[in-house]
Amino acid sequence: MNPSTLPTSALRRSQLYRRHTKLGADFVTLGDSVVVSHYNSMGDEKIQSQQLGLADLSTLPRIGFKGAGTPDWALSLGIELPAAPNRALVQADGTLVARLSQHELLLASGLDSRSQCIDHATARVTQAPLAKSVYSLPRSDSHSWLILCGSQAPATLAKVCGVDLRPHKFANGEIAQTSIAKINGVIVRHDQGERLSYSIFSDSSSVEFLWDSLLDAMAEFNGTAIGIKALGE
Amino acid sequence: MKLLTCPLNGQRNISEFTYGGEYHQMPDHQQASSREWAEHVFFHDNNAGIVTEWWCHSASSYWFLAQRNTISDQILRTFPADEIFNQRVDFAPAAEVSSDATPATKGESR
Repeated sequence: MNPSTLPTSALRRSQLYRRHTKLGADFVTLGDSVVVSHYNSMGDEKIQSQQLGLADLSTLPRIGFKGAGTPDWALSLGIELPAAPNRALVQADGTLVARLSQHELLLASGLDSRSQCIDHATARVTQAPLAKSVYSLPRSDSHSWLILCGSQAPATLAKVCGVDLRPHKFANGEIAQTSIAKINGVIVRHDQGERLSYSIFSDSSSVEFLWDSLLDAMAEFNGTAIGIKALGE
Repeated sequence: MKLLTCPLNGQRNISEFTYGGEYHQMPDHQQASSREWAEHVFFHDNNAGIVTEWWCHSASSYWFLAQRNTISDQILRTFPADEIFNQRVDFAPAAEVSSDATPATKGESR
């Protein structure tokens, strides 16, 4: 890890990087991405991640595809599809594949920023036409990616979201496309080991508002921002 | 809060949805007159009773149809649009264009 990594040193920077800098973040380079490693102003983030933490993974790779030909095309790339819409599946390479409807997929890389699935799919986007009835969606540009984790995450989400996301009602791998603090977003529950974890994909242009709203809702449960180092196994 | 059941996402607060207007069957595009097209695109029946309407779940941009009683404001049924739109319609170019509809050529005064 290089402690002098700047949030602006990579091609893509998070919309939240000024907030991270204000919180005393140290950044780290993962693949082509620069993400928050940890915050110097916080205590033990590993413990925090078990209770309540919010991490920004917006610079990690992701991409989307939609159209009637998408499921067959994805299968031809070796992607294992979730059986039904609003279900997600983690692939062997760590890629999160979220099926947002019968014909729409969202792919997000593993926490190490690596994803063979996304690399293969992205390489094919440059081919025109992609495949019959398959259209690519620039999810890295259009959507931010936050992870809210820890045992108090459901209680926090209950303050800002109308869907019941408690673990016994919302199983690991389920997806809710809904309103979070009045911002439209996609919530995917994908636990890391024992840690309860919700990925939130939302419009990148309003992520600063969502970040502030979530931290505000988390304050009641002593939640804080955490870096990617705390999310590692 | 009123609730509406999205065929894709299930029951949600009505604030997550956007109304998209009445559903009308599209006229035969090969035969329809301009009048029929204008009625299809711009005019609403505004019936009192059970109507079929377009609704969109904003968080997932998912368009679907709902049967609603406009007198009691009761939603009777929601269903995916492909229950009705199950065949592709290929719009062939118009066979002929009348002479008075020919656009002015470049540089010609109007």
